[in-house]
Amino acid sequence: MASQRRKSRSESLTLRYAILGGWALFCLMPVLWFLSIGFRPRTEIITAQPIYWPTFSLDAFWMIFEDWPMWKYLRNSVLAIIGSVLIDLVLAIPAAYSLSRYTYRGRDDIGFYILSTRMMAPAIVAIPIFFLFRNAGLLDSVWALMLIYAAINLSFVTWIIRSYMMDIPKELEDAAKTDGAGDLRILWEIIIPAILPGIITASVIAMIFAINEFLFTLLIASTPNAYTMSVALANFTGGSDGLIYNAIALVAFLAFVPVFIVVVAIQKHLSRGLTMGAVKG
Amino acid sequence: MARIELSGIQKRWGKVVGVRDVDIEIADEEFVVFLGPSGCGKTTTMRMIAGLEEPTEGEVIMDGEVMNDIDARDRDVAMVFQGYALYPNMTIYENIRFPLRMREVPKGEQDALVRRAAEMTELTDYLDRKPSALSGGQRQRAALARAIVRQPQVFLMDEPLSNLDAKLRQAMRVQIKHIQRQLKVTTVYVTHDQIEAMTLADRIVIMEGGAIQQIGTPDDIYNDPANTFVAGFIGSPPMNLVEGAMDAGTFTAQGIEVTGLPAALSGNVVLGFRPEDCTVGGNTPHLTGSVFGVEPTGDLTYLTIKVGGQQIEVKADRAFRAELDTEITVTFDPARICLFDAKSGERLR
Amino acid sequence: MSTTNLSATGAAQSAPVRTYRRRSKRLKKWFPYLLVAPAVIYLMMITLYPGIYAIVQSFYAVKFGPWQPIGFGNYERLWGDYQFWGALWNTFVMGSIALTLQCVIALALAFYAYRDPWVKGWRIIFLVPMLFMPSAVAFIYKLFFLDARVFADLLIRIGLIDGNIAFQSSIWMSRSILILADVWQWTPFLFIIFVAALQGQDEEVEEAARLDGASWWSIFWNISLPMMKPVIAVALILRGIDITTMFTNVFIITKGGPAFGTETISYFIYRTGFKFFDFGYASSASVIMLILTIIIAQLVVKRAFVSAKE
Repeated sequence: MASQRRKSRSESLTLRYAILGGWALFCLMPVLWFLSIGFRPRTEIITAQPIYWPTFSLDAFWMIFEDWPMWKYLRNSVLAIIGSVLIDLVLAIPAAYSLSRYTYRGRDDIGFYILSTRMMAPAIVAIPIFFLFRNAGLLDSVWALMLIYAAINLSFVTWIIRSYMMDIPKELEDAAKTDGAGDLRILWEIIIPAILPGIITASVIAMIFAINEFLFTLLIASTPNAYTMSVALANFTGGSDGLIYNAIALVAFLAFVPVFIVVVAIQKHLSRGLTMGAVKG
Repeated sequence: MARIELSGIQKRWGKVVGVRDVDIEIADEEFVVFLGPSGCGKTTTMRMIAGLEEPTEGEVIMDGEVMNDIDARDRDVAMVFQGYALYPNMTIYENIRFPLRMREVPKGEQDALVRRAAEMTELTDYLDRKPSALSGGQRQRAALARAIVRQPQVFLMDEPLSNLDAKLRQAMRVQIKHIQRQLKVTTVYVTHDQIEAMTLADRIVIMEGGAIQQIGTPDDIYNDPANTFVAGFIGSPPMNLVEGAMDAGTFTAQGIEVTGLPAALSGNVVLGFRPEDCTVGGNTPHLTGSVFGVEPTGDLTYLTIKVGGQQIEVKADRAFRAELDTEITVTFDPARICLFDAKSGERLR
Repeated sequence: MSTTNLSATGAAQSAPVRTYRRRSKRLKKWFPYLLVAPAVIYLMMITLYPGIYAIVQSFYAVKFGPWQPIGFGNYERLWGDYQFWGALWNTFVMGSIALTLQCVIALALAFYAYRDPWVKGWRIIFLVPMLFMPSAVAFIYKLFFLDARVFADLLIRIGLIDGNIAFQSSIWMSRSILILADVWQWTPFLFIIFVAALQGQDEEVEEAARLDGASWWSIFWNISLPMMKPVIAVALILRGIDITTMFTNVFIITKGGPAFGTETISYFIYRTGFKFFDFGYASSASVIMLILTIIIAQLVVKRAFVSAKE
């Protein structure tokens, strides 16, 4: 990380730590506050005067698992996400292989087309997708979500994997060829094992984007049958009481913890993944 | 076993010519070395034999069969790469076994062949390790083992020793030659190191600028260079080349006069003589110049002489010493003098 | 396959005539296309096909009955619809402010963090906001500013204001909340990228500049920033694209209000289509958004793509 050289010659330590520390506080305070919301009784959330030292309560915890089909939401989330990532890997790995190891006419145009779908705002295709899925009877199913998430993420999963593939020295493939291996075998036995970090990074980022997805999920999932965690949050209403914030907060943390752990594990590759290979971390 | 024939081979990328007019016949079991500086086209030529590049023109023929349309993986060649190209996720055992799996050698035979190859390259104790756990020399031997495991028709080696230190290189040279003789496989070896070429080759193909300069045995190349490039490339230090005028059997240049040369030649020529074919002093010296450098190495003394604006290298006896800038004379061995055309560089005979 | 027999001594005895396998040249030529085809076809199904569907639908009035063709009627209506233009304007204003803030803050943080011995720790802390679900973040802000009035309460305690803040009735207040939420959550995205770029900077160049007497600030300004230009461009393009699709925060916190002042174009499409069920009209807005996206893609992204190609 920061080298000895850089560390030793710094000016104005106070300014540096003021700024960094200040932002760190800004980052963490809302999180801590929301955590406190999650562990307090509902009556202490919206009061005439905000309560800063609430009583500890696990109400929300019991609520989300007993009053709501939380396990169902979780299951839907997990299914849709893992399914979409698998679809993406199956499609993206050959595509990335083609884009990175072969030269042929139209390759750059195809690559750019794939890249450009990353820029497709959900709102543009929201309505047609709604109609198409409705006509196909796919509304309100986890399959529909799987297909959508896969489509949203395919672009950068492809490009991230392509970036890692370009790192593999061509000599390795030449060796495999003279050893008698065909292209598909080279892909399967040599290239994929060599780019496992890239595959993991791409999968993690795809999962995060799938967890976060809101618009499509909102449109497609109309009953708790297909609700994922993201949309379930928005519908935690207790009827006339309004939003049940402590439950929302707790669910938010349930989703946060695994994501946090996984991202910290791959943080070395994070910037390369987020920029689809443009910036090597 | 295989005879290889390259007929009229050209390789162009757009306007850039990488290889031109390569015609060569390599005999079965022969060890041929392609020698030349970087970018001379030797690696490209070898890759065309492997099938990794397609010739723009010309044919690659093995045992009488034209191979141009046949994929690299279907040709029966094995290649050792400069960077070894070992598969990083497999153990050495798996690396060596890989070509056997690809060629569908019966499972029962695979193990014996892998172990035999490992034995020949002294890697038996390292079979369980992955490439990253091996030293440079061991990786090189692993690459070699992978190439020899399935007894191909042709070995191709692309500067396999250049990433090794000098001592290791010498040991590996000997081992490669030994293995080649043992397995009796036609071998094409690419290098820029003339010592490797001289010690390993049955014949050397010297290339420069995409074209073959000379084909011959190491002795031929050394004693009978075909042009000034070859003369100046081979030998350490290389042959001294001096430009001057020929007239009636006498060569003259500043500080140099050589008589008794073929009278038929005239005009501007280049005179070539090797540092080891000179003696300091002599009754009728050919060259007079001033001492520019004296470098004793214990084995012999390298003497640099300044004459007529040029520097000449002479290998002198190990006890020889001289003061800088003193005058000195040198006699050449007349039998070993070479003459080249000044314009084309071609050898005059 | 070759017909060489291998004996135990290793000497090869080859059959006098070898047969070599010749593979289809046509297959070789089309193989890379085959590899990339499934991905492309899949994407076309989810983008191209719906895109065309939207274009077609935009020429009809669609509610619940059969589709009525109305030619350019939807577009004419769009042209005169102040809410539509308002949505475009909102998206632009909120987006550019948020993006600028994020970029400046991220650069400043990266400038200080990359030289800090504890850079790994800062990175982890700063990452936290980005790892929450956007809908969860929206709720945090909604609760803090609106429903629980915590923000107002804090200000009162400090003594800055006396009464309550009517967030809901002020357009700029509402916009600020959305901007704040976006900045809080997505600054780490830029930060991670900028820090990586700065850490990749050649240390020897830095050292030489330091020896020449340059301050860290002038190194940053004169050496690092110019070097980072392509990286900043890529990061801003990626983040910029996402900002223009701002939906979640709007949906949860302000629902486009007050007076449509925080309605982004995505929300406009959602509201028109799924609240008023005016699907044809919503499609026409989608088409406009698509056209804008394509224009930006061709102008901005393609240039960055071409220049950054490896």
